[in-house]
Amino acid sequence: MSIPLLRVENLGIHFGSGENLVKAVDGISFSMAAGETLAVVGESGSGKSVTALALTRLLATPSARYASGQIEFKGRDTLRLPESELRALRGKQIAYIFQEPASSLNPVFTIGYQIQEAIELHRPEVSNVEAEIIRALHTVGIREPEKRLGDYPHQLSGGMQQRVMIAMALACQPDLLVADEPTTALDVTIQKQIMDLLKELKQKSNMAILLITHNFGLVADFADHVLVMFRGRIVESGRTADVLRNPQHAYTKALIECVPRLGQKQHRLKVIDYAGIE
Amino acid sequence: MNPASANHQTYAQRLWRHFRADKFAHYGLGIVIALFIIAALAPFLANSHAIVRVADGRITFPVLLSLEPIEWRFLIYVLLAALIYFFRRKLQTHPRRFLLLTCFFVALVELWLGFSHPINDPSNDRERPSSFKLMPPVAYSPIETTPDQFSPPMWKHPCGTDSTGRDIAARMLHGARISLSIGFVSQSIALLVGITLGGLAGYYRGWLDIGVSRFVEIIECFPSLLLILVVINFTGSQNNMFCIMAVIGLTSWTGVARLVRGEFLRLSGQPFTLAAQAIGASDFRVILRHLLPNALGPILVVATFGVASAILIESSLSFLGFGMQAPTPSWGDILSESRRYIDFAWWLAFFPGLAMLVTIMSYNFVGEGLRDAVDPRLRIK
Amino acid sequence: MTTYLIRRTLLLFPTLLGITLLTFLLIRLAPGNAALLKGGGGESGGRAMTAEVREQTIKLYGLDKDPLTAYVDWIAKVFRLDLGESIVDHRAVAAKIGERLPLTISLAGSALILSYLIAIPLGIIAAIKRGQTVDRAISFIVFVLYSIPSFAAALLLILLVAGGDYLNLLPMYGANSINASEMGFPAWVRDRIVHMILPVVCLTYASLSYISRYARVSMLEALGQDFVRTARAKGLPERLVILRHALRNALIPVITVFALELPVLISGAVIIEEIFSLPGMGQLMFQALAARDGPVIMGITTLAAIITLLGYFIADILYVLVDPRISYQ
Repeated sequence: MSIPLLRVENLGIHFGSGENLVKAVDGISFSMAAGETLAVVGESGSGKSVTALALTRLLATPSARYASGQIEFKGRDTLRLPESELRALRGKQIAYIFQEPASSLNPVFTIGYQIQEAIELHRPEVSNVEAEIIRALHTVGIREPEKRLGDYPHQLSGGMQQRVMIAMALACQPDLLVADEPTTALDVTIQKQIMDLLKELKQKSNMAILLITHNFGLVADFADHVLVMFRGRIVESGRTADVLRNPQHAYTKALIECVPRLGQKQHRLKVIDYAGIE
Repeated sequence: MNPASANHQTYAQRLWRHFRADKFAHYGLGIVIALFIIAALAPFLANSHAIVRVADGRITFPVLLSLEPIEWRFLIYVLLAALIYFFRRKLQTHPRRFLLLTCFFVALVELWLGFSHPINDPSNDRERPSSFKLMPPVAYSPIETTPDQFSPPMWKHPCGTDSTGRDIAARMLHGARISLSIGFVSQSIALLVGITLGGLAGYYRGWLDIGVSRFVEIIECFPSLLLILVVINFTGSQNNMFCIMAVIGLTSWTGVARLVRGEFLRLSGQPFTLAAQAIGASDFRVILRHLLPNALGPILVVATFGVASAILIESSLSFLGFGMQAPTPSWGDILSESRRYIDFAWWLAFFPGLAMLVTIMSYNFVGEGLRDAVDPRLRIK
Repeated sequence: MTTYLIRRTLLLFPTLLGITLLTFLLIRLAPGNAALLKGGGGESGGRAMTAEVREQTIKLYGLDKDPLTAYVDWIAKVFRLDLGESIVDHRAVAAKIGERLPLTISLAGSALILSYLIAIPLGIIAAIKRGQTVDRAISFIVFVLYSIPSFAAALLLILLVAGGDYLNLLPMYGANSINASEMGFPAWVRDRIVHMILPVVCLTYASLSYISRYARVSMLEALGQDFVRTARAKGLPERLVILRHALRNALIPVITVFALELPVLISGAVIIEEIFSLPGMGQLMFQALAARDGPVIMGITTLAAIITLLGYFIADILYVLVDPRISYQ
């Protein structure tokens, strides 16, 4: 049996203390194989983003505490890695794209520079960095990439900014791409474009993708497996098709029902009744 | 009016909680209040007249007899303000009656002050024989010269004396009153002008906004101290406390105006303003009852720093010789005098310098505490 | 960006006009001049004006003409830098100011540069180590410094460090020693620097406090932004994340705040030059005020306002140059 790419075991992340203790993540375990696409679904506050950031210890440590568990990436526990090795991991083996592309890109540097930074950091062997940048931009579907190198983030539309973020993440050919609600801040039509792009990338490479979202609708023809999180715990997991067809947990059922369907006469959007859960 | 339930606190109460939590701001406020009290009670703390004197079988109150009208005003009106504050709830039920009462009272006071004459007795009660007398803690008047010149700090003169034998401690205590009153009054004037102009500009926008903004810009180009010096010089109002208050006030309103303009621009674009206008509230009412209370937090912050700044300016003016001058006890003036004798009379510079430092620091602490309490980003609790 | 620059330059003129208008009004309201307006009067500085001085003052400010013509004349004069003659010694005001301006500029300029050099690192360190002892200590010290009046600090320093009973390290007054003209150039420069240390320190510490607090707040804000998280996620060492990504953004507002400090420094120069007997523009102002020398007073005031206006203008330009979000519209 091969070692899974990522294995999270009994992860616990706490904020605050005493009366104000919040167990954002309360003992979750899951694993991902190389090349697999896993979706983590849940509402705001379920702990999914915290989990994603914890993979490379990106949470601000005075306020966040890694209370328990381990995160094994390619056999090594990222929670206990020394700083220097952790930094080698970030960007090169695990890359991120975030929810708000406009504020996730540095406004005072050109997009070309920001991608160049990533390449020079993790792939010093590359001689023609500019060609690499152009290639990365081309892969994410940006037209005339060579003219875009000197652009600043605010000159681009939201969809293009997100594509740049994806290009930046892919520039170092990571093994795992963590996408934290990549389309939530975007227009619906752009959402589809970005998801299609991600699907395309998934097919072309052996990169694993961890998709964080609150929208079950995105999950259906994208992810191989799905995890449902509620209040810091995993309430359901399994192959996407199985979970969608046969949700076991009340919360999962409720989440699935929340997605509005074409052709269905709905007078009101469905609202989750928390009293009925757990 | 909603009573504050356990979870729901008024804006003011939340501000106060936040403010209390900041230790420095807390102590700063304590010192500010103490200074206020000192300023108000100055004639009772340092005076060459006794507070109570029993002689020849008669009880007299020499201090009260010697109070100038302005000192009476200080005492009475501050007391009045305190009373009004503590009884504000009860008074709110009958506002008109209460207003009439106050006007009546003020009229009475002014009449009495107009007819009374302070007994300007330059002699002091220290040496006068009496069966019982209670002297103020510092038994010297701030303008009383003694033959004890350049005396270093000692029991008789806790802060030493200056070149004409005047007691420094007495001058410090009375000087607090000068600094504070100039600080407060000038800042009040600045607030009045600033809130009016800034508010109008922020609410009505358009040409009014452009005009006011340009005006503010022009005034801000002039270094404030220079402008004040020029105006005081041209109007010949050195040593004239009211003129100085007016000049300082009329040149420091730009900061307030900018702030209020910004706040009003922001607030007037919000739905609640539209709602108030939609139900027919007059502009005046909207500004006064809806917009102003919301902008009060930042205004208070600027006002507090403004008082500190005004005190600083007044001292600078006095130091340069263009503010209050001897024999009027002003901290800046004492410091100015100390320059010549700094080699051997260190106390002349030390005490006023220390007083200024403590005062300004306290106001700054309070201002900082208020600013943190008002900061919208800290609205977690 | 060029349109913004042109627009900004054009906006200068109304403000310039406003400045000249204000100074003009001040002149007309000055008691000596007001009396002259009415055709009578003739007192200035407590001395009766000689007929010559009266003539000159009336001519300088156009007190015999109607306000509009007088105002236009005044603007023209300001442009030509013809600010009249000093009542005290009949020398051209512009010349008197001109010979003292360099000293004041070097004083204020050094103070400004020094403030920035010290304040920015202080602010950044305080922001990075937020809440820890270093931050608290820096914040407290900065706070106390901010509350000390400049003249009190000057007196204290003179008492402790210059002349007097204690240390006698630095000179108490003057921009150069008495025998300065006999020194060779390097020695003269050293002498000048030694004399300027205390005055510059007195002007610097207050600016420093303000700028460092500003830098701290600005840095804290930058550190809380999303792109800092992105930079970390990319694997950049923390040092680069802070110094390259966060700092670059934090510095933008900090750089432009010098325009606010300029008028404060000019005001401060009046006090400091007085205390330390430095022959600069501030001391000239003080002397002119004492002597009620109207032309000099108005000349310096107008110049100060124009310098401040230029400062604001330069700050705006800098802001545009440094923040790409504004230039590329």
